[in-house]
Amino acid sequence: MEKYTLTNGIRTIIKRNKNTPRTAIALYFKLNNDEEKSGLYYLMIQLFYQGTKNRTSEQLANELDENAIDLNIEKKADYIRFKLLCLNEDINLALEILQDIIENSTFNEFEKEIIKIKGEFESDLDSAKVKAQDEYYRTIFKNHPYGIGRKEVIEQISKITKEDLLKAYEEIKNYGQKNISIAGDIDKEIIIPLLEKHLCNIKNTELKDNRKKVEPLNKNIVSIIEKEDANQAQIFMGWRFPNIYSEDYATIILLNTILGSSGLSSRLFLELREKQGLAYTVRSVYEPFILSGHFFVYIATEPKNIKTSLNGFDKEINKIMTEIISDKELEEAKNNAIGKRQFYSETNLLEASLSGYYEFLGLGFDYEEKLIDSIKNVTKEQIIETAKKYFAESSALCVLAPRKYLIEADLLKI
Amino acid sequence: MKNIKKTLIKYPYLEKPVEIYERECGHKIVFAYKRGSLINISSWVKTGSINENDENNGISHFLEHLMFKGTNKHKAGEFDRILESRGAIVNAATWKDYTFYYVTIPKGSDERNFNDTLDLHADMMLDPIIPDNEIGEPFDIENPNIKTKRERHVVIEEIRMRKDQPWTKVYNQTNQNMYTTHPYKRDVIGNEQIISTITRECILDYYRTHYTPNNITTIIVGELNPDEIIPKVAKAFDFKGRKNRENDKYKIDIPTQTTKYVETYSRINTGFLMFGYLGAQAIDIKTCTILEMLALILGQGQSSRLYQELIEKAEKQIFNIVSTDYYHFRDGGNLFIQANFKPNEKENAINLIKEQIHKICTDGITEKELKKAKKKLKAGFAENSESVSDIAETIGFYMTVCNKLECVEEYMHAIEEITLEDIKNISQSYLDINKAVISVLMPESYKK
Repeated sequence: MEKYTLTNGIRTIIKRNKNTPRTAIALYFKLNNDEEKSGLYYLMIQLFYQGTKNRTSEQLANELDENAIDLNIEKKADYIRFKLLCLNEDINLALEILQDIIENSTFNEFEKEIIKIKGEFESDLDSAKVKAQDEYYRTIFKNHPYGIGRKEVIEQISKITKEDLLKAYEEIKNYGQKNISIAGDIDKEIIIPLLEKHLCNIKNTELKDNRKKVEPLNKNIVSIIEKEDANQAQIFMGWRFPNIYSEDYATIILLNTILGSSGLSSRLFLELREKQGLAYTVRSVYEPFILSGHFFVYIATEPKNIKTSLNGFDKEINKIMTEIISDKELEEAKNNAIGKRQFYSETNLLEASLSGYYEFLGLGFDYEEKLIDSIKNVTKEQIIETAKKYFAESSALCVLAPRKYLIEADLLKI
Repeated sequence: MKNIKKTLIKYPYLEKPVEIYERECGHKIVFAYKRGSLINISSWVKTGSINENDENNGISHFLEHLMFKGTNKHKAGEFDRILESRGAIVNAATWKDYTFYYVTIPKGSDERNFNDTLDLHADMMLDPIIPDNEIGEPFDIENPNIKTKRERHVVIEEIRMRKDQPWTKVYNQTNQNMYTTHPYKRDVIGNEQIISTITRECILDYYRTHYTPNNITTIIVGELNPDEIIPKVAKAFDFKGRKNRENDKYKIDIPTQTTKYVETYSRINTGFLMFGYLGAQAIDIKTCTILEMLALILGQGQSSRLYQELIEKAEKQIFNIVSTDYYHFRDGGNLFIQANFKPNEKENAINLIKEQIHKICTDGITEKELKKAKKKLKAGFAENSESVSDIAETIGFYMTVCNKLECVEEYMHAIEEITLEDIKNISQSYLDINKAVISVLMPESYKK
């Protein structure tokens, strides 16, 4: 893996993987401002597919598909990411299309795209799990853009004007930090001039983050959704956890491995699924962002099991906060977490995305090695201390179930 | 190695040919060389819901869960713990024609991870004890006071989960109505009544019947030396004289001769619909490839016909989502068109899809569309050659459903050879708008 800086200052990571047929590109645009109206950034990325001054949306779609170029533009909590995957021989064309989208998107079809997004999100919310998860994010990141979900976007997106969108894009395009990462069977002597050619007009400046701070969650919040025909209760319970820059990051990765992030041998899986037969899906997730992070446990279970499941969560969370883990469990969790990291860069797309992400965060493209060293050095005392530090704080609970069972679980009064 | 027949198959996008070793007992071992730090070991069994009936529907999938519940050497949970503590991903899946079990694990600096994974995997495949206390007592599904919940309940929760998924609901209705007698009509996961009562003896009997040497293919993918590992695999898979059995054959169902329409309801806000057509047997590589191309041209990607005509260029936004898929099955695949739409536009939605089907059958496709489909299918194959688990899945599919890996070569050849005429002929043979199964899931407020 090698690092270059393009003439316009864009940090560039290149990894050559010989004998791989497809090249992957991940380009990160940092978001320094909160969206003024909910759904603005999502609308923006959808409109990137809707044509440029040189290509109509249909021409763009045809050209991508005819050349088997996968273009995936994502809006995440802290950035917009363009991911491109193409056969090696099409790299020039893929970069030319990327340049065209970035420089020449017309953002036409504005009204139509709003209707499409509303329709897609309404369809997503017909899934009980998506509905509950959306509500959980709204609860854990109450009053913060990190918590904006589909429901709020459906309600707010029509208020966005084209001027709002153009203004926001100008900000991102002209003033934000960008970085790019490429993995594939590519020669740096060929790819660097191509990047200079196609990305030379993008401005790259390191600006301060103007986004709203995430306020602490000062009390436990319970949010419920009544869904009479639900066959399962959807339960999300979460806590605020630190961001990726935290000194506790490596410890939390292990905490998550032990509790339920990975596979068939975690504590939640063994206790709630294997021993108690409460669920098919039970897991924990740690999601660190730049401004904050959160950690949640999730179970989907027969509605009459809500209380038992919540007790199960409490028991496991209390256990990890109060009982020191054995040397064996810690060692196994370390080997598990470190071994699993090899999956994160198995393909060119995964590798470009990961190295690009670390570079985006300013941690350096080779952060993975440092992180593995940090994981190796975590002690069992750190596990218990970290668990106490964050799990003792307020939590957000979201439960979706038929009314009768919410009442039975004391989550709803008659 | 004595009594092992070796065949080499040229496999696109891999550095070396794939090696197939057929043992005298019928067990097959396949090795694919793939550079990288991960290795994948999997075993594919030629059984799934295809071998089930109304009394034991769901048994293949339930057995898949129970295979993780220990052997005479390792108690339940050990397999998962040992392998996951080395960073492995361990899992299994059941579908209509097959069940497979896999471990993907970092190769490590010595042979330890390969050797231990192989031993544990072979042990699980050959000596599952499926203890009563892990299955759980049979119980009455109507009884709300069951205290001890074991694996039966886990599977029942999986069934419940699927009942809350609108796409699964609409798919199950389509699937059920596409067949008359063939076992494919049943949902792979089965139902609560069967899972709550099926006996251990029944499950063991099913295992003994179907987990025979000639029904199992073990696949190894990674940066390994086949001369070293193949003897180890053959040794680990000691079937101890286990008898083979001919697989059952089923009468191939013919497509419905009139359009079958099914409407169901749920507490949702949008409408879900699915058109289903029976396709060709998986071994008919050329026809299946043409049907794949048709699915791709009709509804895969933003340039596809359905997306462009029904979403991008639509004067009125009726559709939220529209796409197509082709599923390959031994006794005949399925082509599906699925859509999510505004429920007050149901009739329009159905007619608009019918128009597009009619158009492709009548006018065929363009040269440009054919070229696109060919390139996308090839790129799709390249994509499936990027990870050890995807390579193993492709090999497992061809070895298990088509019975031979040579189909990979046939597939690449078919992509090159297919003409506009072929596409038109096949679309007319398979996609008659008056012979579709149409399943619609509507919001309850639309119930008459």
